[in-house]
Amino acid sequence: MTAIIRAESVWKIYGQGSPREVNAVKDVSIDIAQGEVTALGGPSGSGKTTILSLLGLLTKPTKGSVYLEERELSSLSEVYRTKVRRERIGFIFQAQYLIPQLTSVENVALPKLCTDMSRDDAENLAKERLTALGMENRLDFRVAELSGGEQQRVSIARSLMNSPDILIADEPSSSIDEALTKDLLATLRGMSEENGLTVIVASHDPTVLNWSDRIYHMQDGSLVE
Amino acid sequence: MGLRKHSNLVSYALGNVLKYRTRSLAIVTALILSTFLLGSAEFIREGVMTDLNASADEGPDLIVQKLWGGRQAPVPLEWKENLSAIHGVRLATPRVWGYIDVGGGGLLTVMGVNASEYGTIVGTTGTEIMEEGRFLNDTDRYRMVVGEGILDIMRASFAGVSVGIGSALSLIAQNGSLIEFEIIGVFSSNSRIYSNDLILTDLDSARQVLGLEGASCTDYALWAEYGEDLNSVAFRIDTQIADARVLTRDALSDAMLVTYGNRAGVVALLWVVLLMTVILLSFTVSTSGSDEARREVGLLKALGYDTVDVLEIRMFESLTLGMLGASLGVSSAIVFDFILGAPILSGYLLGWSFLLLNGGLPLAISAPTIFTLYVVAIVPLLVATVVPAWRNAITEPDVVLRGV
Ligand SMILES: Nc1ncnc2c1ncn2[C@@H]1O[C@H](COP(=O)(O)OP(=O)(O)O)[C@@H](O)[C@H]1O
Ligand SMILES: [Mg+2]
Repeated sequence: MTAIIRAESVWKIYGQGSPREVNAVKDVSIDIAQGEVTALGGPSGSGKTTILSLLGLLTKPTKGSVYLEERELSSLSEVYRTKVRRERIGFIFQAQYLIPQLTSVENVALPKLCTDMSRDDAENLAKERLTALGMENRLDFRVAELSGGEQQRVSIARSLMNSPDILIADEPSSSIDEALTKDLLATLRGMSEENGLTVIVASHDPTVLNWSDRIYHMQDGSLVE
Repeated sequence: MGLRKHSNLVSYALGNVLKYRTRSLAIVTALILSTFLLGSAEFIREGVMTDLNASADEGPDLIVQKLWGGRQAPVPLEWKENLSAIHGVRLATPRVWGYIDVGGGGLLTVMGVNASEYGTIVGTTGTEIMEEGRFLNDTDRYRMVVGEGILDIMRASFAGVSVGIGSALSLIAQNGSLIEFEIIGVFSSNSRIYSNDLILTDLDSARQVLGLEGASCTDYALWAEYGEDLNSVAFRIDTQIADARVLTRDALSDAMLVTYGNRAGVVALLWVVLLMTVILLSFTVSTSGSDEARREVGLLKALGYDTVDVLEIRMFESLTLGMLGASLGVSSAIVFDFILGAPILSGYLLGWSFLLLNGGLPLAISAPTIFTLYVVAIVPLLVATVVPAWRNAITEPDVVLRGV
């Protein structure tokens, strides 16, 4: 397999040196295969979210290295890492992080406002993304007025705005029911197969885990077999 | 390059201003109040300063009084020779002056001068005798030259009666008798205080009105030789005439400003308190204090916004709120001062000296003042919002993946 992202002996220690020091991730090495769906399983608190933060360049490892296509990224400047996030990575956050006062379209267009795409073009693209997810009747609703499943789809549409080659999803099924979860998985699978999208998903939901190409289990900050 | 992005960020920022309506309204309201307060006090201060400078320009270089037992006493006319003999003194001329009550709480200054001596000075300065009238001459008795503003006030209070050159005006003397004066001249002045306040007449008539003894005067007005240093002339007078108290032009303005200065301090304090409210408000509700705003920054960063993009957004938000608040504050201060005449505030700021301003408040407005008002409204707001945003923006955005 070709690894698109690779973590090598990464550690993440929160509050290092303080009495509340936490070894959230301990000496983890992991390869994420290009174009596959990789799942991270494990109980709550085992370090799944932390691994996603490291692979998604949202935080730097305390020790160890993260490679994107063989390029070591954890030592690079924040500006460069931000550019990689902007251009290549899509995120579906566990708590979704939609801005409740904005409409679906405005939320989805957000990642493109910090680029040279005009606002109109960004909103048109956002409409396309939302329509592809069956949200064409909710375009101008404020997200506070949407159901949980609809919010989830807005969140997915936003993660696809920059046409990422890597999609990172944290507990994507936590706020939706079984049927919607299956819908979501089918969507992600479709994109993986059509566009060679690499998906990394953290979940303790067996439905999600069983559907993936490859599963890693975490326990207490380490990978277990 | 990058122009579209900036316009996107600006429109996002403007959207935020509307999105957080309560917060925006609170900040703008507080800014309006603080700018209004500072602005209306500042226009009065600038007006008073301009007026004082103008009156100092028109007034004498030095004033010499006599101190007797620590109090100001009438100055004997014999001082004239001694004063004129002092090196650097061009002219020393006696003045007899005081305030007279003209009813309704109004006071006017009556000043008796030596017509020929004073006449050489008037006209060379900002004070000018207007056409058709004339200045006093040595033989005039019970004649007066008044400021333009006084005529305006008289016209306003005796509607229908024509007042001008040749009109009679009666003053109540110290001993209760009524003395009729004829107006023979009108002067215009750059100083509103002068123009609305001053009646010039001859020395004897002034003595009679104010009840002063024959061979004395209230003080001496001195003009120095050109190029003389006023302080050294003042020093020579002080050392050569034992009972003399010498006031220089600067000391005079300072004394007039003391009352104003003390009151203005309180206004400044009030303003600081208000501005602190703005800062605290914007600090807590907009950027650092609120989790909502912090999460927004984390989200934007995670989605690929650079730190400077986030700062640009916050900056435009603050600029919009600041410009809006400052503009409305400045406008309401202009309306309050220039149209409504600054009720309450003017009386408070100017205290007793306000009573002397018969023609109303001296007000002035200038580009630097307006600029300052904007700066003091906007800069603290910018600092209070951009600095915390910057601190949030440089922290790692992984908080967004955590559900807190
Ligand atoms: N910012 C932080 N500061 C301190 N401890 C943290 C922080 N973030 C996460 N942790 C701790 O790290 C451990 C792993 O957390 P996380 O990666 O969220 O696990 P999971 O996603 O598997 O539930 C937990 O014990 C959590 O309390
Ligand atoms: Mg988690």
